[in-house]
Amino acid sequence: MQTRGTRTDIYPFAAIAGQSQMKLALILNAILPAIGGVLIRGHKGTAKSTAVRGLAQLLKSQNGDASLTELPLCATEDMVVGAIDMEAAIKEGKKKFQPGLLKRANGGMLYVDEVNLLDDHLVECILDAAETGWNRVEREGLRTSHAARFSLVGSMNPEEGELRPQLLDRFGLSVQVEGETDTALRVELMRRREQFDNNPGEIISGFITESRSMSERIEQARGLAPKVTVPSHLLKFVAEIAEVNNVAGHRADLAIERAARAHAAWCGRDVVVVADIQAVAPMALLHRTREQAPPQIPPSLPPEDSEDNAKDNSQQEKEEQSAPNPPQEENSEASKSGPVDSSDTPDASDEQTTDNDSINPDEKPDNTTAEKEDSPKEEHVFKVGAPFSVKPLVSDTDRHRRTGSGRRSRSRSANKQGRYIKSTSRRQNGDLALDATLRAAAPFQKSRRETMASTMAVHIRESDIREKIRQRRMGNILVFVVDGSGSMGAHKRMVETKAAVLSVLMDAYQKRDQVAVIVFRGRNAVIALPPTSSVELASRMLTDMPIGGRTPLSAGLGRMSDMLTQIHRKNPLSRPIAILLTDGKSNAALGEGPAHLEAIALAGKVAQHHRNVRFIVVDTESPGAIRLRLAQKLASALNASYFEPENLRAKEIVNVIKEIV
Amino acid sequence: MHHQTFIADRPGFPFSAIVGQDKLKMGLFLNVINPTISGLLIRGEKGTAKSTAVRALADILPSIEVVKGCPFQCDPNAQASLCFQCQSRATMGEKLESVKRKVKVVELPLSATEDRVVGTLNMEHALKHGEKKFEPGILAAAHRGILYIDEVNLLDDHVVDVLLDCAAMGVNTVEREGISFSHPAKFTLVGTMNPEEGELRPQLQDRFGLCVQVEGITDPHQRVAIVKRRAAFEADPFGFTKQFEAESVQLSQQIDAAIHNYGDVVADDDILFDIARLAIEAGVDGHRSDIVMLKTAKAVAAFHNRKQVSMDEVAEAASLVLPHRMRRLPFDDVLNMGSKKVG
Repeated sequence: MQTRGTRTDIYPFAAIAGQSQMKLALILNAILPAIGGVLIRGHKGTAKSTAVRGLAQLLKSQNGDASLTELPLCATEDMVVGAIDMEAAIKEGKKKFQPGLLKRANGGMLYVDEVNLLDDHLVECILDAAETGWNRVEREGLRTSHAARFSLVGSMNPEEGELRPQLLDRFGLSVQVEGETDTALRVELMRRREQFDNNPGEIISGFITESRSMSERIEQARGLAPKVTVPSHLLKFVAEIAEVNNVAGHRADLAIERAARAHAAWCGRDVVVVADIQAVAPMALLHRTREQAPPQIPPSLPPEDSEDNAKDNSQQEKEEQSAPNPPQEENSEASKSGPVDSSDTPDASDEQTTDNDSINPDEKPDNTTAEKEDSPKEEHVFKVGAPFSVKPLVSDTDRHRRTGSGRRSRSRSANKQGRYIKSTSRRQNGDLALDATLRAAAPFQKSRRETMASTMAVHIRESDIREKIRQRRMGNILVFVVDGSGSMGAHKRMVETKAAVLSVLMDAYQKRDQVAVIVFRGRNAVIALPPTSSVELASRMLTDMPIGGRTPLSAGLGRMSDMLTQIHRKNPLSRPIAILLTDGKSNAALGEGPAHLEAIALAGKVAQHHRNVRFIVVDTESPGAIRLRLAQKLASALNASYFEPENLRAKEIVNVIKEIV
Repeated sequence: MHHQTFIADRPGFPFSAIVGQDKLKMGLFLNVINPTISGLLIRGEKGTAKSTAVRALADILPSIEVVKGCPFQCDPNAQASLCFQCQSRATMGEKLESVKRKVKVVELPLSATEDRVVGTLNMEHALKHGEKKFEPGILAAAHRGILYIDEVNLLDDHVVDVLLDCAAMGVNTVEREGISFSHPAKFTLVGTMNPEEGELRPQLQDRFGLCVQVEGITDPHQRVAIVKRRAAFEADPFGFTKQFEAESVQLSQQIDAAIHNYGDVVADDDILFDIARLAIEAGVDGHRSDIVMLKTAKAVAAFHNRKQVSMDEVAEAASLVLPHRMRRLPFDDVLNMGSKKVG
C-alpha cells in the first residue's frame, strides 16, 4: 500500500510575515537545486517548517512540482533506502524492489524536520546517497541501485543539540532565524495566523495573487539561472571569501557561486554582480565556519571590477566597519581534533573578565573570607583556560545491549523501548520484526504454498524470523557538580577547572552526550542546567558562572543524588557519569555536625545508592605547599576516580577511566 | 469484553465536583473552546487532582460530527483535511455518512512504544492476506480530540520526537515497517508533570499552548470538602454524579456557547499591539506565544460571553501563556542563590 497525500491546508508561503533570509534561502534553492539544500536553524515557533512546507505547496500548486519528500524521524531503514516488495513476492513469487524515500526524493527536495534529532543510522544512509548521488541497495537478496539526487532541506532547533559536521557540510546554505522584534510585524503575523486557523481558505485565497506572482518569478528565474554567468574576477572574489573565512574547500565556493547565480536570476539579471555574492555568502558560510562571530565578507573588491563598484559602495562601507581580521588564530592552534573544536572557544567571555578580578591581591587564599559570603563584591567570573582535547572517557565499542545511541556508548536497546531502526536474524529477545520477517519469507511463498497446508496466506519458517534492533538516543549523561564557592575562587584554580570542564564538554559535544550542571555555593545547591544536549548552552553557562560564598558540599551531593535518581527513573539502563569539581572542602552542613564529615558520609551513601553511575572527582585544590587532599578522601568515599585538572589531558588518565568502565 | 462494559458504565468523577483548582479548570476550558490553542501543561506535585481533572473532562466535552466508521474521526464538513479513505470516497461521489459523538480524551501511556503511537503494520492482515495494511495508532485515535499524557516529562525521547513531528503540521507521517502512510492528527496535548522528577525538553514545552502551576489546597474547609466528596463518590457513584448533573450540564452549555461565540469575539489593534509588546518584553523565543495569547484572550472573552477582548482577558491569557516560555538566563538560580533562604 502506497498511500500518501493526506490533504491539509497549508499556510501560504507568500503570507509568511518577516523572516526574509529564510524565505530567500529557500527560494534560491528552489531556483537552482544544485545549490545543495538549506538548513534552517532557529528557535522554536519561528515558522521554520511552515516555510518549507509552504514553499513546497507553492511550487506544487503553481508550477506542478511535487518536489518535497518528507523524512520523518521515526522512519525505518527499509523505507529510506528501499526493500523487497513483500506483496509482489508473496503473490507473484517475484523479487521486486520497492523503492524508498531516497528514490522518491530523486530530483527534488528531501525534508527532515528536527534534522539534528535524526538517528545516526539514517544520517549514514542519507550521507551515502548524497555523496555519490546514487542509492545502492544490497539487502534481502536484492541488489539494485538507482539515482538519488536531491537537495537536503532541514530545520532544527540548536537547543536540542548540534548536527554532525559531515551532515552540516552537506547543506549548501544555512540561515539562522530569530523571532521578529518589530511589534507591527508581530501583530501582522498574529493576525494572519489567527485568521488562517479560523478560516484557512480566506488566507489562501487572500494571498493567491502574491502566491502566483511569486511562483511566476521563481519559474522565470529557473529559466534564467542556467544562463547566468559569473565574471572571472568575481570567481576570485568568491574564492577569497572562502579563504578569509577559513572554509577553503570546494563545497563552500560552489555553494556561494551557485547561490549567487540563483540570486542574480531571482533579480532578473543574467550576470552575477558583487551584491549577489554579498547577499548569499553569509548563508553559505554560517554553518561552515563554526565560530561565534558571523561570517566575514571581505569588503575589498577584485581590481578588475569597476561597474559594480559605485553601486555597492554604501554596502561595502557597512561591511568594512564590521569586518574583523581575517582567520582567527584560535583555529590554527586550539583545534587538533576536527572542526568542532573551535566551536565553543570562549574568546568573547574572556574579554568580559577583567584581569583585576582574577588576580585580586586582597583575596585571601582561605575560606575565612566566607564570613562575608554573599556580598556581590566577592563574586567573580573567572577566565576559562585554553581547552584541550580530551581522550575518550569510555571505550566506543560497547557491545552490551544497553540503551543509548549517543556515540560515547552507542548501544542497542535491550528492552522494547526505543526506536526500531532495523532488523536482525539473530534471535535474542523475542521482539519480532514482522515486516522484516515477512520480507524474508516472501520469496519462498510460492514453493511453500505447494508443500504446506494452512489457512494463512503467508508461510513463515523459523529461519525467516527477524527481530527488531532498537536504539535510544540518550547517550551518556554527564552531570557536572561544580563548587562555586569562595574558597575555590580564591585559589584561582577555577581557570584551570573551567578549561578542564570545557574540554570534557567538547568531547561530549562530539559524542552527543547530554550534559547537566549543578552548582553548590552559598547555602545550597541548584541545578544550573537541567540535562540538555546543548553543549553550547552548558559552556556558556559555565563561562559566566560567578563564584563566591560558602561551600555546601553536602547540598551539592544531595542535589546530584536527586538528579541521578531522576535520570535513572527516566532510563533505568543509562549509565551516567558524574564529575565533581571540588577541592573537597565543605563549610556549610545540612545538619548539625561538622560539614566535611557529613559530606564524606553522604558521599558513601550516594555511591552505594547509585551503583550504575561512574563518579569522577577533579581536585581543584591549589597546588601550594600545604595541601589537605580532602578531594581524595571524597573520591574514595564515592568510589570515584580522582584527577587533578592538569592530568585530565594526559593519556594515562584516560586509560585509567577506561579500565574503570 | 463484559468487564470493559462494566467499567464504562460506572461514571467517572464528575468534573463539576472537583473542588478549587480554578486555573487548571480554566486552562482546560479554553483548550476545549479553541483546540488550536494546542494544549495545556499542568505542573504540580502529586495528589493535586491533576489527573482527576483531565479524566473528568470527558464529562463536559462537546460533541463533534465524524464520518461514520472512519478510524481517523474525519470531519465530514472539512473537505480539505480528510484522510485518504474519506477523500477517495468523497471524490467517487459518495455521500459521507456522519455521526455525532463526544470529543474523546485519549491517553498515551508512558510505556507506549513508538509503533503503538504512530501506528504500525497490521499483523493479522499481513499474515492472512499477504498484504500490507496500516494499523492506526494512538495519534490516529487522538485526532480532533485530547491527547493526555500523565507524567509527560518522563516520556521516552523518541516518542517526544514523534509528537513534535506530528504537532508541527497536524499530520502523522509514517514511513516504517514497509508502510508509507500519512493521516491527519490534530490534537490538544494535555500533559501533567511533577517538576521534581525532571524538566521537559524546551521544544516540547513550547508545544503546550498554556501552562498552569497547580498547588495543593491549603484551605481546611476545601480540604474537608474534597475528602467528603471523594467518599460520597466511592460510596455511590451514580447518586453522586446525579447530584452534580445540573452543574455539569450548565458547564457544558457554557462551553458550547463559548465555542459558538468565539468567532464573534473581536480584538482591536491596540490589544494586538499590547500582546506583541508583552511577548517581546518577556523575551520568549519565536512567535508562538503571541498567537496563543491572542487565541486564549479571545477564548476567555467567549467563555464569559463577552464580545470584545480587553486588557483583563489579555492579562489572564499572559499568565497562562508566558511563564513556561520565558527563557531562563544562564545561572539565574545561581546568581539568586545567596539571597534565598534555605529549604
